[in-house]
Amino acid sequence: MRLRARRHRRNLRPPEGLRITSMMDILTVLLLFLLKSFVAEGEAVTPAPGVELPRSESEDRPPASLVIAITDDAINLGEETVAVLDGSVDGGLGGDLYIEALGSGLERARERQQRIAERRGHLDEWAGRITIQGDRDMSFSVLQRVMYTCDRSGFDDLALAVLQG
Amino acid sequence: MHRRRGYRQLVEGDLDIMPLMNLFVVLIPMLLLSAVFVEINAIDMHLPPSGAERSRERESLDLAIRLEPQHYVVEGRHLKARSVERRAPQAETELRALLRSIRDANPDERSVRIESRGSTRYQDLVRVMDVARSTGLDAIALARHPAVGSLREAR
Repeated sequence: MRLRARRHRRNLRPPEGLRITSMMDILTVLLLFLLKSFVAEGEAVTPAPGVELPRSESEDRPPASLVIAITDDAINLGEETVAVLDGSVDGGLGGDLYIEALGSGLERARERQQRIAERRGHLDEWAGRITIQGDRDMSFSVLQRVMYTCDRSGFDDLALAVLQG
Repeated sequence: MHRRRGYRQLVEGDLDIMPLMNLFVVLIPMLLLSAVFVEINAIDMHLPPSGAERSRERESLDLAIRLEPQHYVVEGRHLKARSVERRAPQAETELRALLRSIRDANPDERSVRIESRGSTRYQDLVRVMDVARSTGLDAIALARHPAVGSLREAR
């Protein structure tokens, strides 16, 4: 009878399920690394792809704000590319200090931010904050134009992203 | 209980992916450890309306650091222009010492204008800003020479 029960149990054993213990281990390890790179305020500042930030001794924390990333061949506002650079000293942006496309993108962002601030009731506290992530080999000519455009569009609180050191 | 020959040749049960998962458990931390953890900071720049700064500068030292291809040139009102060789290994230390001595002679002076060429590298400019800020000159104006326009920072 015991033999029959054993056989019976063997035939009734459910198929082996997927063992996810190892997957949980991976997720735990990943979680720990992600936490490590989060700052105390809970904002993670990620470097834009294609940008090698310059090194600086500065220890100020970067604020959470819209990011302008300046790579070798483009200027990106947030996710979208607003201007194309051609690698020359002034980036092929022309003689004018104001960058049209970037300026209009910033205007739109400013209106959006101000609308949100108004709806929340603290429009008077709104400050135009922008983080500029520029490649360390970028020429001052391009930086000057970007900063001028930001200023003209109402963003006068600029933060230049740098790497510690 | 007759089994067909070759019955045991059939694939048994589910695909066992446990060893694969175990591999990942080892591989992913190794890859992450070799990843660079960068600490991103920021240099704050506030740009006040340019009209406000003009009158103040007229009484001040009008200290300026000009970034030439080979030299840093430090000049100001009533100051002899001094230049520091950029390629020298201790160029930054020298520049810092120079600025500190100027600052010691003029303790109220906190503003400096950094004039770059259009082709000046961003990294070089950031380094000079660091040096200036470390000597207490934290109201930095960025300008371009030959003059095209100027931007200002104030703390």
